[in-house]
Amino acid sequence: MVSVASAMQGGSSGIGYGLKYQARCIADVIADTDHTSFITGTLSLKDENEVHLIRISSSGSELICEGLFSHPNEIWDLASCPFDQRIFSTVFSTGENFGAAIWQIPELYGELNSPQLERVTSLDEHASKINCVLWWPSGRHDKLISIDEENILLWSLDCSRKIAQVQSKESAGLLHYLSGGTWDPHDSNAIAATSESSVQFWDLRTMKKSDSIACSAYVRNVDYNPKKKHLLVTAEDETGISIWDLRKPKVPIQQLPGHTHWTCAVRCNPEFEGLILSAGTDSAVNLWLASMTDGELKSERTIDSPRCPADPLLHSYSDYEDSVYGLAWSSREPWIFASLSYDGRVVVESVKPFLSR
Amino acid sequence: MEIDNGPMDEKTKRMRDLLSSFYSPDASTSGSSMGSSNRYASPLEAINTTSFNPDQYMSILVQKSNLEGLLQKHVEMAAEIKNLDTDLQMLVYENYNKFISATDTIKRMNNNIVGMETNMEQLLEKILSVQSRSDGVNTSLFEKREHIEKLHRTRNLLCKVQFIYDLPARLGKCIKTEAYADAVRFYTGAMPIFKVYGDSSFQDCKRASEEAIAIVLKNLQEKLFSDSESIQTRAEAAVLLKQLDFPVDSLKAKLLEKLEQSTLDLQLNAEDLSSALVIGSSKDGNVSESVYGASHEASVREFAEAIRAYRVIFADSDRQLIKLAQDLVTKHFDATEQFIRKQICAADLLRVFGIIWTDVLLLGEVLNDAGLPDYSLKAAQVAVKQYVTCTFSRLLQDISDALAQVHTRKKEEGVQEYSLQLALEASKKAVLQGSMDVLLDFRQLLEDQSGLTISQRDSIVDWVQEGFQDFFRALVDRFMLLSGKNSSFSQSQVLPEATQAEKVVAGLVLVLAQVSVFIEQTAIPRITEEIAASFSGGGTRGYEYGPAFVPAEICRMFRAAGEKFLHLYINMRSQRISVLLTKRFRTPNWVKHKEPREVHMFVDLFLQELEAVGSEVKQILPQGTRKHRRTDSNGSTTSSRSNPLREEKLNRSNTQRARSQLLETHLAKLFKQKIEIFTRVEFTQGSVVTTAVKLSLKTLLEFVRLQTFNRSGFQQVQLDMQFLRTPLKEIADDEAAIDFLLDEVIVAASERCLDTIPLEPPILDKLIQAKLAKAKDQNPTSP
Repeated sequence: MVSVASAMQGGSSGIGYGLKYQARCIADVIADTDHTSFITGTLSLKDENEVHLIRISSSGSELICEGLFSHPNEIWDLASCPFDQRIFSTVFSTGENFGAAIWQIPELYGELNSPQLERVTSLDEHASKINCVLWWPSGRHDKLISIDEENILLWSLDCSRKIAQVQSKESAGLLHYLSGGTWDPHDSNAIAATSESSVQFWDLRTMKKSDSIACSAYVRNVDYNPKKKHLLVTAEDETGISIWDLRKPKVPIQQLPGHTHWTCAVRCNPEFEGLILSAGTDSAVNLWLASMTDGELKSERTIDSPRCPADPLLHSYSDYEDSVYGLAWSSREPWIFASLSYDGRVVVESVKPFLSR
Repeated sequence: MEIDNGPMDEKTKRMRDLLSSFYSPDASTSGSSMGSSNRYASPLEAINTTSFNPDQYMSILVQKSNLEGLLQKHVEMAAEIKNLDTDLQMLVYENYNKFISATDTIKRMNNNIVGMETNMEQLLEKILSVQSRSDGVNTSLFEKREHIEKLHRTRNLLCKVQFIYDLPARLGKCIKTEAYADAVRFYTGAMPIFKVYGDSSFQDCKRASEEAIAIVLKNLQEKLFSDSESIQTRAEAAVLLKQLDFPVDSLKAKLLEKLEQSTLDLQLNAEDLSSALVIGSSKDGNVSESVYGASHEASVREFAEAIRAYRVIFADSDRQLIKLAQDLVTKHFDATEQFIRKQICAADLLRVFGIIWTDVLLLGEVLNDAGLPDYSLKAAQVAVKQYVTCTFSRLLQDISDALAQVHTRKKEEGVQEYSLQLALEASKKAVLQGSMDVLLDFRQLLEDQSGLTISQRDSIVDWVQEGFQDFFRALVDRFMLLSGKNSSFSQSQVLPEATQAEKVVAGLVLVLAQVSVFIEQTAIPRITEEIAASFSGGGTRGYEYGPAFVPAEICRMFRAAGEKFLHLYINMRSQRISVLLTKRFRTPNWVKHKEPREVHMFVDLFLQELEAVGSEVKQILPQGTRKHRRTDSNGSTTSSRSNPLREEKLNRSNTQRARSQLLETHLAKLFKQKIEIFTRVEFTQGSVVTTAVKLSLKTLLEFVRLQTFNRSGFQQVQLDMQFLRTPLKEIADDEAAIDFLLDEVIVAASERCLDTIPLEPPILDKLIQAKLAKAKDQNPTSP
C-alpha cells in the first residue's frame, strides 16, 4: 500500500505526505541505517488509528509509505527504538484512560494484507495521565523511561523476552505536574523533565531530582544538544526558545523569539552545531542558527556588532494549514527533517540551502 | 771735486774715518766706511775703501784719462799722499802725548792710594760705634713703645666695649626711629663679641640687646605680615630678617599658609554659588549676582596683590605660588563640578565660568608664567564635558521618573483611569521638551563668547552629538530594563531582573512601546533638525568616524525597540489570559463534565482581561482605521447563529458525524479564504486588541485540543464560545478571524469529544440571554 507523495504547493521545496486523521507525533527511525525513514501515528478519538512507517525514496523526491498498521487507540506520543528499527513505543489514550506500550512491527508486513502490530509489552504501572516514553537516544540500552503527570518510572526492558519491569519509580512531588521530558544523550543516568514552567533534572541512579531551571513560561518541549554536553533547549509558550547552559542554570545563555503563538516542539540538529528547529501553533516551522562559538555558546549581542545583530532565524517554513506539533530531524541525513501538522500532513524538508551560512 | 769745495772738510772727514777704521775691528761694518763705499761706487772712487784694488785702479785710470788727466791725477795724488803722511805723523804724536799723560796720572794715583787704608779702618770704627749707640737707644726706647702699643689696643677694646654697652640703648633708639636697618647692622657687628663673651662678661648687655633685637624681629615680622605696609618695606623687612638669621623659610611657609588661607576664602562654594545664583535668578537680579561676583572679584584682586607682594619678597617662590594658584583654579573647578551636579542650567554654568575666568585673568596678570589660562581651559573642558554628561543623565533620569509614575500611581491610588495616558504624555514631554531644553542649554554654551568656552566650540558640538547618541542608546537600554526584558544577559544583573520581570506592569511596557514610536517619529527628527541648525560642524572627530550623532541608527533602534515592546505587551497580556485558560481547562475533568447550566464564569474574567487591554490601549495608542466595524450591534446572538457552516455542522445527526465533520472542515478551509490569524501588529488600538484576542482564542483552541470531552463538556465549550462571539467582536476588529477561531474551537472540541451532540440553538440562546440578563443585573450601568 503506497501512498502518493506530492510536492507541497506554493513553491515549497518540501515533500508532503498525508495521514488520514489528525496527528501529533512523528519520530525518526534512528536504527534504520539504510533508509531515511520516519514513523508517525494518528490521533483520532473515534476512528481507527494508524501508525505509518514512511521512507524517503531513493531519489529523495517522494515519501513512500513503507508500512501502515492499525493502532488500537489515538497516539499522543511515539518514539522509535534507537537500536531496533522494528520496535517503537506509543503513548495512547482511550479518551478516558491513558496507556503506553512497546510495539514491534511484524517481519513480513509487506506481504500481509492488514498487518497487525505486535505488542511487545505494555507499560502498565501508571496511575495518571502518561506523557511520554523515552529511549536512551545514543544507542543500545536496556532501560526505558516513562513519564506521567506525577511520576517518573524507570523500566528495564527485555525485548527478546518481551518483559518490561519497573526498576524504580519516583514521584515528582506534590503540586508538580510533569508534562514531558528528554533523556540526556551524553549521560544515560540523567533526564530532564518538564514541569509547568520549569525543567527538572533527575539522576536515575538515585531517582532524585538533582537540579532545576526556572523558565518564564509554560515549557512545552525540551531537547538536549546532542553534540555538546550541558546544553539544553527549551520551548516555552509565550517567550519562545531558550538555550541553557546547565552549568549556569540561572539565566538562559540565549533566547530566540520562537513563534507568534506557542512554541510546541524544539529539536537540536544531531550533526550541525547550533542548528535548531522549532515548530509552533502559528502553523510554522522555524529554522534557527544559535550563534555558537568554539566551545561556548554566547549571547548574540556580544558576538555581533551591536549595530546590526545577525538574525538568528534562518528560515521560516510556513506552508502549513494547522499547528505543527510533530518535529524530527533525520539522524541518517541530518539536513533533513520531518514535520507534522495537526491536520495530518507530514512535510519533509531539507535545510541544505541554509547550511552554507 | 770735493776737494775743490772744501779741502779742509774733506781732510778732517778722512781723518775721522781712518780713526774709526783703526779702532773699529771691522771697517766694513762701520757706518762711515759703508757710506764711503757707497759714495765711491766706481772703482776710481773706491780708493778710500778697504777693498781698493790699486792695479784695477791704475788700469781704469789709464784707460779713462788722457795724459794730462793722468798727470793731473798724479799731482793730485802726490799732494794727497803728502797730506796723509803729515796727518799720520800728527796722529802718532798726539797719541804719544796722551800716553805719556796717562802714565803720569797712574804714577800719581799710585802715590795717592797709600793713605787710604788707614782712613777706611777709621771709618769702620766710627760706624761700629754709631751702631752700638743706636742699639742702646733702641733698647732703651723699646719698653715705652710696647706700653704705648698696649695702651692703644686697650683703647680700641674699650671703644668696642663702649659700643656694646651702648648697643641696647642704641638699638632702642633705632627701634624708636624705626631705623631697623641700622639696628640690624649694629647687632650683627656686635654678634661676634656676643658669641665669644656673651655668656660671661656681657651677659646683661647681651640679654638687653637680644631683647631689643627681639623687638626688632617682632616689628619686622609685623611689618612683613602687615598688608598695609608697602611692598618695598616688607621686602626690606624680609631681607633684614634674613640677615638676623631668622628662619625665613618658616616665615615664607607661614606667609604661604596665610595665602592659602585666603584662597580658602576665595573658593567658590557650591552652596554660595547656587544660593547667589538662585537669588540672582529669582529676583530681578543681576544685582545680587553681580554683587556676589564683585565681592568675589575684589577679594581675588586682593589675593593677586598678595601674591605679587609675596613674589617680590621671596623671589624664588614662583613654583609654590603657581601651585597655589593652580590649586585655587582646581578648587574652583571642583566647586563647579559639585555645582554641576546640582542640576544647574547652562547660564549658571556660564556665570560660574565667568567668575572663574576673571579670577584666572587676575591671577594670570600676577603670575604670567604660570600658564593659568591654559590650565583653566583644560579644566573648563573637563567641566563642560561633565556638564554635558550630567545633563544627559539627568534627562535620562527625568524620563525614567516620568515612566516610573505608571508604577507608583497604580500602587498608591489604584486609579487606573488615564494614569497611563498621563504617564505617556509626561514621558513624551520629558523626552521632547527635555531634549529641546538640553539643546537650548548647550546652545547657550556655544554662543557664549567668554574666555573659557570660546575655544571649545568644536568639542562642545562633538560632545553634544555624542551625548545624544549615547543618551538614546542608554535610553533604549533603560527602556529594556524597565520592561524587565534585559537584552544583555549578563549573569549577575539578570537574576534580580528576571525575578522582577513579573512585576513589570504591562501598561508600562505599552507606554514604552508608544514612547519609542514617538521618539522615532517625532523626537529624533526634531532633534536632528535642531542639531543640524546649531550643532553642525564639530570636526575634532576624524572624518572617518563620521558624525557622532547618527539619527538613522537611533531611529532603527527605537523602531525595533517599539515593536519589541508592543510584542512584549501583547505577550504579557496573553500570558495572563493563558494562566486563566490553563486553570479553566486543566482543573475540571472534562470527561465527566456535567450538563451545562449556564455560561461559565471564566468568560467574564476572559473578557475582563481583554477589556483591560482595551482600556490600556485606548489611553496610549492611536485609534487607527478600523477595517470593518460592526454595523449591526444589536443583533448579538442572531448574527452568530446565522453562520451557515457552523449550523450545518452542528445540526448534523450524531451518527458518522466525526469523520465527515473533519472532512467538511477541511473542505471548508479549502473554499474559505485562508484566514491569516497572525498578522503583523501595528501601533493602533485595533491592531493590538485584535492581536491579543486572536492569540487568546488560539491559546483556547490549543487547550481544547489537549483535552477529551464528554458530551456535556463539549456543550459547555460550545456555549461559552457562543457567548463570547458577540463581545469579542465588539472588542476586536477582525470579525472573520474571530468567527473562524471560535468555530475552530468548537470544531476542535467536537473532534475531541467522545459523544458529540451539540446544544440545540434555542437552549443556547436561552442560556446566553440568562447570562446577559444576569450581567445586566449585576452591573446595570454598563450597556
